[in-house]
Amino acid sequence: MLQKKICMLGGFGVGKTSLVRRFVQSIFSETYLTTVGVKIDKKSVALPGKTVDLILWDLAGEDDIGSFRVSHVRGATGLVLVVDGTRAATLAAALTLRERVEAEFGTMPFVLLFNKSDLADRWAISDGDINELRQLGWQIYLTSALSGEHVDDAFRQLASMVAR
Amino acid sequence: MTSTVDPISLPQRTASNDTEIDREALARLLIEIARNVDPDYRARFDGVPTADPRMETLRQLLVSREISELSRVTHLLDEPEQLAAAVGDVLSSAAARAPHVQLGEALAPAVERAVQRSIQKSPRTLTDILYPVFLPAIRKSIGEKIDQTFQSLNETLRHIFTWHGLKWRFESWRTGASFSEVVLKHSLVYRVEHVFLISRNSGLLIAHVAADNATSEDPQLISSMLSAIQDFVKDSFNEKEQSSLDTIRFGDLRLWSEVGQFATLVSVIRGNPPEELHEIVRDVLLRIHEECSQALGEFDGDSSQLAGVEAQLQTCVELKQEESNQGFPWLVVVAVLLLLIPAGGWFLLSWQSGQRWQAYVSQLEIQPGIIVAEQKVRYGQFYISGLRDPLGADPQSLLSGTQVDPARVHSQWKFYQSLEPEFVLKRLTASLAPPDTVRLSIVKDRIVAEGEASAAWISQAHAAAQQLSAGGPVFDISGVRDVSLEEREAERWQAYVSRLETQPGIIVAEQNIRDGQFYIAGLRDPLGTDPQSLLSGTQVDPARVHSQWRFYQSLEPEFVLKRLAASLYPPDTVRLSIVKDRIVAEGEAPDTWIDQARAAARQLSAGGPEFDISKVRDVSPEARAAEHWQYYVSRLEAQPGIIVAQQTERGGHFYISGLRDPLAADPQALLHGTQIDPARVHSQWQFYQSLDPKFVVKRLEASLTPPKSVLLSIIQGRIVVVGEAPANWINRARAAADQLSADGVVLDISQLHELNLAELNDLRAAIQATDIFFYSGKVVPGPEQTPVLDRLADQIKEFAESAHKSGVTARFMLTGHSDATGRETANASISAARAETVRALLNKRGVAPELLLVRGAGTFEPLVPENSQTGSSTNRRVSITVNLD
Repeated sequence: MLQKKICMLGGFGVGKTSLVRRFVQSIFSETYLTTVGVKIDKKSVALPGKTVDLILWDLAGEDDIGSFRVSHVRGATGLVLVVDGTRAATLAAALTLRERVEAEFGTMPFVLLFNKSDLADRWAISDGDINELRQLGWQIYLTSALSGEHVDDAFRQLASMVAR
Repeated sequence: MTSTVDPISLPQRTASNDTEIDREALARLLIEIARNVDPDYRARFDGVPTADPRMETLRQLLVSREISELSRVTHLLDEPEQLAAAVGDVLSSAAARAPHVQLGEALAPAVERAVQRSIQKSPRTLTDILYPVFLPAIRKSIGEKIDQTFQSLNETLRHIFTWHGLKWRFESWRTGASFSEVVLKHSLVYRVEHVFLISRNSGLLIAHVAADNATSEDPQLISSMLSAIQDFVKDSFNEKEQSSLDTIRFGDLRLWSEVGQFATLVSVIRGNPPEELHEIVRDVLLRIHEECSQALGEFDGDSSQLAGVEAQLQTCVELKQEESNQGFPWLVVVAVLLLLIPAGGWFLLSWQSGQRWQAYVSQLEIQPGIIVAEQKVRYGQFYISGLRDPLGADPQSLLSGTQVDPARVHSQWKFYQSLEPEFVLKRLTASLAPPDTVRLSIVKDRIVAEGEASAAWISQAHAAAQQLSAGGPVFDISGVRDVSLEEREAERWQAYVSRLETQPGIIVAEQNIRDGQFYIAGLRDPLGTDPQSLLSGTQVDPARVHSQWRFYQSLEPEFVLKRLAASLYPPDTVRLSIVKDRIVAEGEAPDTWIDQARAAARQLSAGGPEFDISKVRDVSPEARAAEHWQYYVSRLEAQPGIIVAQQTERGGHFYISGLRDPLAADPQALLHGTQIDPARVHSQWQFYQSLDPKFVVKRLEASLTPPKSVLLSIIQGRIVVVGEAPANWINRARAAADQLSADGVVLDISQLHELNLAELNDLRAAIQATDIFFYSGKVVPGPEQTPVLDRLADQIKEFAESAHKSGVTARFMLTGHSDATGRETANASISAARAETVRALLNKRGVAPELLLVRGAGTFEPLVPENSQTGSSTNRRVSITVNLD
């Protein structure tokens, strides 16, 4: 049994919970997020020769980044940064969260998801910005919790990154 | 220029020869360069002097900076202060970069010693350091203990009056466990349903084991969630790092978590677990940490390394306590019954015993001669007091049969004399002792005596009657007749007659009294008692007795015995006696007497008692001889060292064969005094060695010839050798003991000590140190050896005498030696001759020749190597050795 702790980080309302709701195995209700501040889900990803169980810690995303509990990230081997493609400010929030995590626990593999790709008409992130980030070697996916576009790819990518 | 070499003086001083600059090579190199620059240069210079000061200048120009740097570093290394400062600057970062395992191993001994020292110096410091670590653990442990105690108390109280309680009490008594332990064991019904081992760092599940039938959601998610909740609580309430959420309770479901260094063990328990379960779970966690410490520390989500821990967790899941039925509180009922039954029983018994007591008292009250003054019952005890006549019934004996416990009766009786007629009668009977002819009776409260009595008794009775008149009943003796003198005489005569009738050998045929005269006639045996002699002492006047007796032969056994004794003249060896009306003869007699006795027995058979002569042995000469022979044989058989194999008697001759130890008694000699004719005895004895300790001792004494200081004795079948003996004798004794042990005979030589010849040892050494020297080719020692010989003779005599006193024989070996000059055979004979000469000379000085042994050693035992004149003269000698036997 190979499992990896993965933390989903992102600002409030970026769609983390929606992403996992459709595509992962879950037993806990969303009220956990507001009570305990975290919700645990599992995504099994079949890689060549092995299956990795990604234990996804969906941390409550709040507007106030300061209230984010870094301690939840302890022991994580990878991150899923989620940005709301219709709100440019959420990109900065995601990057700030990543910086805080890396400051605490060192660098770790991550994928950056620009969510809500189905809302093309309200899209607020320019392709140039995305390409700039891709230049840094980051793994970036434009996902849609609604259509499921690229969600599996993103998790598969992260799984192969953490399961080396 | 020589004054400018100072800056390089240091490296020059410290450099060794091989690192010194090869100035010649340098000069050649420079010339080579110059030649390349200017080809004509060669024409002007053939070479460069090695001591050219310019070389030095050049060198300074080239490497002066390195030289000064080197000198600084060397200086740094040589100065401990500076070196320490330099190392100190980099120590922390060096330690950080060092491989941790190796650094840890290198530092461990030093750190251990330092801690040890610190504790020795001031334990307080370390206690202060560890205090924050230990305190929470101790607090938790005490808390659990208190919980455990309360739990135990609660459960004990709950079950104290139930039927289970009784059963558990019995179980506690049977198993020796405390009652509360047993109660907990039965009352705490629980089951460990799940056990999760969770990585402390990531919250990832390391292992999960569930009990049969226990269901749960995905354990991986649960474990992560559990650690998230831990974090949540910790963060929410600002709890310190080392604390942890250890119990979560939901209905009858409990989550217990035990935190280890790398992993947390969460057990999900349904029911009411005992507090001890904490310890069990903690033990499992500790064991897992011990066994897989490294794998746990390095856990990164791959649990394949930790497959073994599931077996450990399985032990937790197997923990449970089944529910047992709880029922009606029978114990209460039983307890109440147990209390009521004895109480009711007690009331019944005390009422019953009171009734019995009253029955007894009323029985006493109607008893004549008993007056009950007072009686009462108090606390189950009975008290009674009063008067009783000693002749009345015993109140104590009346108790038997009343079922009143005599132990609870306290009586106080005083004696008195009752005047009731029956008691007066009793007392009169006791005091007057009326003859058989007088009868006392009570007639209408009067005591009446009737019958015949002597005058004396009548007057006695009169006196008693007068005494009684004062208040007592009337004693009427008017009915007693005075008996006449004649009657008394007749009585005496009848007594005489009846005595005669019981006499053996007397038959009374007729007797009567007529006119004051007594007549008697009958038969009497002359061997019986004389009837006349029996008259004396009967108070019957012999003059008035007229007897007519005829003689007859009584067939009563004692008379027959007397007659037989008179007629048969039995020899002294025969004894006649009466056994149950039969006459029995016992003993020995010649056949002639036996024939006689048999004839007498036949005669007797007609009506008389039986005469049994079967127990008289025929003692004819042959029979006696056979008896003697048997006696002899039995004597032989009892002899130690003699084994009789066969013996028989045939035609007046006796044949015997068997084994005998030569040291045993001679069977022939034992014949003496047995009245057996030796000529008729034919013996065939074969010799053998008896293993009887007595014979073994005899043989040992003959073969070992023990010295006087040794004593052989037999103690409980073992031969024990006690005393002192020389070593070689002890060895022989030990050899003998070994041989004997094979035959099963114990020869104990443990109390045998080596003869202490200390005083002799000096003398022995002196004798053995003496050498008699000879001139070359001579067999007689020179005159200068005379004092040596004199002294030697005295010493030998003294030694031989002392040894003899100790029971040892000393022998002296005189060994002649020669030097190596000349032929070997000549030397051999000259050496023997020298020894012979010394023997003769010693003999002349009074030494017994049998103590002296002689041998010639030739050149074979030289005292010193034969390579000098002195050597030769030293080797021409006779040496003496002492042997003890």
